[in-house]
Amino acid sequence: MILEVKNLHVSIENKEIVKGVNLKVKEGEVHVIMGHNGSGKTTLARSIMGYPKLKPTQGDILVDGQSIVGLSVDKRAKLGLFLAFQNPVEVEGVGFINFLHNAKESISGSVNTKELMTDIRSNAVNLKMVENLVGRSLNQGFSGGEKKKAEVLQIGVLKPKIAILDEPDSGLDIDAVRIVAQNINEIAKKTGMGLVIITHYSRILSYMEPQFVHVMTDGKIVAEGGKELIEKLEKEGYESFSNGSK
Amino acid sequence: MMVVMAGNDNELLGYADEEYKERYGFSDKTEYTYKTEKGLSENVVREISKVKGEPDWMLEKRLTGYKVFKNKPVPTWGADLSGIDFDDVYYYLKPTGKKEDAWEKVPEDIKKTFDKLGIPEAERKFFAGAEIQYDSEVVYGHVREELDKQGVIFTDTDSAIKKYPELVKKYFGTVIPASDNKFAALNTAVFSGGSFIYVPKGVKVAMPLQAYFRINAEKAGQFERTLIVADEGSDVTYIEGCLPADELVSRGDTFQRIDTIKEGDAVPTHTGGTQKVNKKFIHLHKGTMLEIMPLSKGNSFKLTGEHPVLCVKRKNVLEKRKPRKNWKPEVSTMSLLSIDPEFVKAENLEEGDFIVYVAPKLTKNDPQFDETTLKILGLYLAEGSVSSNKALHGIKSVSFSFGKSKKESLLANEVNLLIHEKGFKSSVCRSKGGYYIVSSYAKELVALCEDNCGKGAKTKLLSEKIMKLPALKQKILIDYYWKGDGNIYHRYGKDMLRASTASRFLAYQIQEILARNGIFANLNIRRGGFDTILGRKIERSDQYIIEYTEGKKIGEVRKKGNTFFVPIKQIKKYEFNDLVYNFSVNKDESYLVKGFAVHNCTAPIYMSSSLHSAVVEIIVHKDAHVRYVTIQNWSRNVYNLVTQRAFAYENAHMEWIDANIGSKVNMKYPSVYLKERGAKGEILSVAVAGENQVQDSGGKMLHLAPDTTSKIISKSVSKKNGVSSYRGQLYVAKNASNVKSTVRCDALLLSKESKTNTYPYMDIKTDDATITHEAVVGKIGDEQLFYLMSRGLTEEEALTTIVLGFIDPLTKALPMEYSLELKRLIKLDTSNSVA
Repeated sequence: MILEVKNLHVSIENKEIVKGVNLKVKEGEVHVIMGHNGSGKTTLARSIMGYPKLKPTQGDILVDGQSIVGLSVDKRAKLGLFLAFQNPVEVEGVGFINFLHNAKESISGSVNTKELMTDIRSNAVNLKMVENLVGRSLNQGFSGGEKKKAEVLQIGVLKPKIAILDEPDSGLDIDAVRIVAQNINEIAKKTGMGLVIITHYSRILSYMEPQFVHVMTDGKIVAEGGKELIEKLEKEGYESFSNGSK
Repeated sequence: MMVVMAGNDNELLGYADEEYKERYGFSDKTEYTYKTEKGLSENVVREISKVKGEPDWMLEKRLTGYKVFKNKPVPTWGADLSGIDFDDVYYYLKPTGKKEDAWEKVPEDIKKTFDKLGIPEAERKFFAGAEIQYDSEVVYGHVREELDKQGVIFTDTDSAIKKYPELVKKYFGTVIPASDNKFAALNTAVFSGGSFIYVPKGVKVAMPLQAYFRINAEKAGQFERTLIVADEGSDVTYIEGCLPADELVSRGDTFQRIDTIKEGDAVPTHTGGTQKVNKKFIHLHKGTMLEIMPLSKGNSFKLTGEHPVLCVKRKNVLEKRKPRKNWKPEVSTMSLLSIDPEFVKAENLEEGDFIVYVAPKLTKNDPQFDETTLKILGLYLAEGSVSSNKALHGIKSVSFSFGKSKKESLLANEVNLLIHEKGFKSSVCRSKGGYYIVSSYAKELVALCEDNCGKGAKTKLLSEKIMKLPALKQKILIDYYWKGDGNIYHRYGKDMLRASTASRFLAYQIQEILARNGIFANLNIRRGGFDTILGRKIERSDQYIIEYTEGKKIGEVRKKGNTFFVPIKQIKKYEFNDLVYNFSVNKDESYLVKGFAVHNCTAPIYMSSSLHSAVVEIIVHKDAHVRYVTIQNWSRNVYNLVTQRAFAYENAHMEWIDANIGSKVNMKYPSVYLKERGAKGEILSVAVAGENQVQDSGGKMLHLAPDTTSKIISKSVSKKNGVSSYRGQLYVAKNASNVKSTVRCDALLLSKESKTNTYPYMDIKTDDATITHEAVVGKIGDEQLFYLMSRGLTEEEALTTIVLGFIDPLTKALPMEYSLELKRLIKLDTSNSVA
């Protein structure tokens, strides 16, 4: 699967947040989008997933050459896109396992419960999710760290083709960042999925091997390169990129 | 006996019929031979009382009610009731046939309706309004027979007035007097039917109260009157019965006849855990009984047609392939395993459908059962027995008898070694016939065998401790049992392991242990009888034959988690006229009959009328407990104006569980008057207001004494232009110290047009009351929808998920059939609310 974002412009309440972004992600690739708070990273991710209030004003989003701009969120998920939320939503009274079962069924058309349970269990163990997930409501009563881990668990279970992870590291302690990163790597390696990691800290990246690094400021991608870009960012900060140097 | 139906028959009934058609795909016109004039007058009230043959004091009460009704204005503080035209209602309608009429005379169209609704024969007669007197005598009579010793009265209100005038006089209208409100007054004037229950001191009643109440409501129309008096220390709840007496119920450790199950016994449920039996119910069932035979004869069980069974319909899981000649449609394992089984009424089961065998999950390891011990017990189960030797003053010994072959001699040696390994003494000898016998007098060993496996061939039974061991440990025992008793033969193209036992219970236990180890075993019965072996006539007992194959599937049986989907091979029907049993279990609301998950219930019955105004009065005396469950799903033309109130005395406990989905306008505020120290009141309610619906519900708690506690949880969902309101009243009297009260009302709005209101009225006259009140209004958040949809759920699925999650606390508390019905209705409704 190839996800392509072409000259994408997105506005919220008439204020342009994403100002002409281009991005091309293939299965098996690891991309990183870095940028400070408010640079438009999250809006970009959410508009790719199809949040109804983020209709592109210009440009296009394509999967395998076909525009998905007209598709509802669930259809995009069924195509193989996944968005790990920065702030995963709590849903009262909805069992986590049951929810995963329904999600898996919707995406794959059918579900083998035994395999699913094995998958959930092994992912939970790998992620060191201590609490028993059975009987718990979706993200409700989960700690910040657990929520993030639960998002990664969902990636491991739902096996999308391209997963966008919106700040999978925020609010995590050092150990948890490592565990989350290692699991993301492991899942991607196993399934060959493409990854887009959105972050503004480089810590998580020290455990990963991104091939493509994109720096985003003020709704635009202002620099692109390999892993070396991360070091540059570490040293010079986002400031040095804000003038549009590329 | 009497049915009060909706007013303007052309319009209102027509509309109701439409609804009926929509829901059930049919509608039938009901004709009435007798009805009073339209509208209400003193004459109509007198006529109702006269036709019912009531005593004067009741007529007086009716007339008082009528006067109050006439003088009180229609309340305007709540929902808009201006649409009710009291003059356009028939307050008294009598369907075809007099009360002594036989069932045969019930018009065909009514009978047809019942057929389509799947109402059991015995209950149809209530619905039809025929033979009520007779039938109520019979059915109530039989229940009374069971409960007579306990002194419980359970009858319809009309009969109670005649038979128990003193009791009725004492309590009728004391909780809800006619003067209380216009609709309570109306009910007092024109009521018909409803139930009267009196539970004497200390009696814990288990009766199908709800069913009969509903039936009464059906036959007697929309103004039923229910009066429940729970005397000191008594207990009443609602649920009904459907299984015949000799049916075996899994107890986890063993199986037991359903009629011998006691309250408080723990039984495994369809989730694999166990729950305690709260209540046991008995009622008479006249009509068809079904015998369901899954794959093998040994697992056949009987139940009544309306009893739900956990099932996956075969037609839903067929392999999608073109029909070929001589190829029967096959089942797709993938879809079988991915579909969630649902409770389906037994009468809707078809041969080939899959029912669910559940392996209990409960385990409790017991270190005394090490590998060696389990092997010994396995062999004991197969070949052992305990006997006492008269010559040695009754000293008991355990002996294992093996055959003459080399293989058997090896087994004899093995058991001998195992026994020595455990530090007991035993010896091997050969009998005259050349059989190998291992025997031991070690007391501990004898006790171990006897306590855990039983004594003789027919009574062999595994102990609770063994039945609770982890599956792998049990497997050791079973493997050794097979070593002794089993044989291998070729069938279904596989090596089948087979063993037979004369102990019926042991057979079920072995089946259960194998299931816990992931193996579904066939269980067949070879009927006993007289046989001639070597010229000697012997009596052979029934043999239960267990057969299985390891690592392979038998037929279409498929495993999912700790359950097995087992196809039904045969369904038999026969006529039945005897008591049936059922019980309610905590939480899971299901139990296992011979390992198969069935459920206790009747689906809620949908009715149509334009004005429903019932009164429910409950008196909960000292230390008594009453739980009242209702689900309200009237057609969307009904004004449902019900008054429900309970008086709770010292340390009494009253629970209202209330779900409101239907009706045009619903006004219902169950209340508890906590009149004496320590009384406790609880209300759990959910309301769903759909298009053009007004759900005005809530609850009232009046703390009139110290140390009283109350809890109200109210959940409402509004859709389209639906309006749901919570109206709650909390009152704490001056003398009521140390009161604790929790009120939580949550509302969920599904659309911009939908509305919710909260009207909490609080009047606290003390300083030391602990009151918590929480009200949360939630809109279906864009973020929630976005999140769920990003996981592949459609908008509709996402909405339903959120709504069902929201009302989860209530669906958990409801009996399963209500919970399923509620979920189904909500799914149906939300699918329409997506733009």
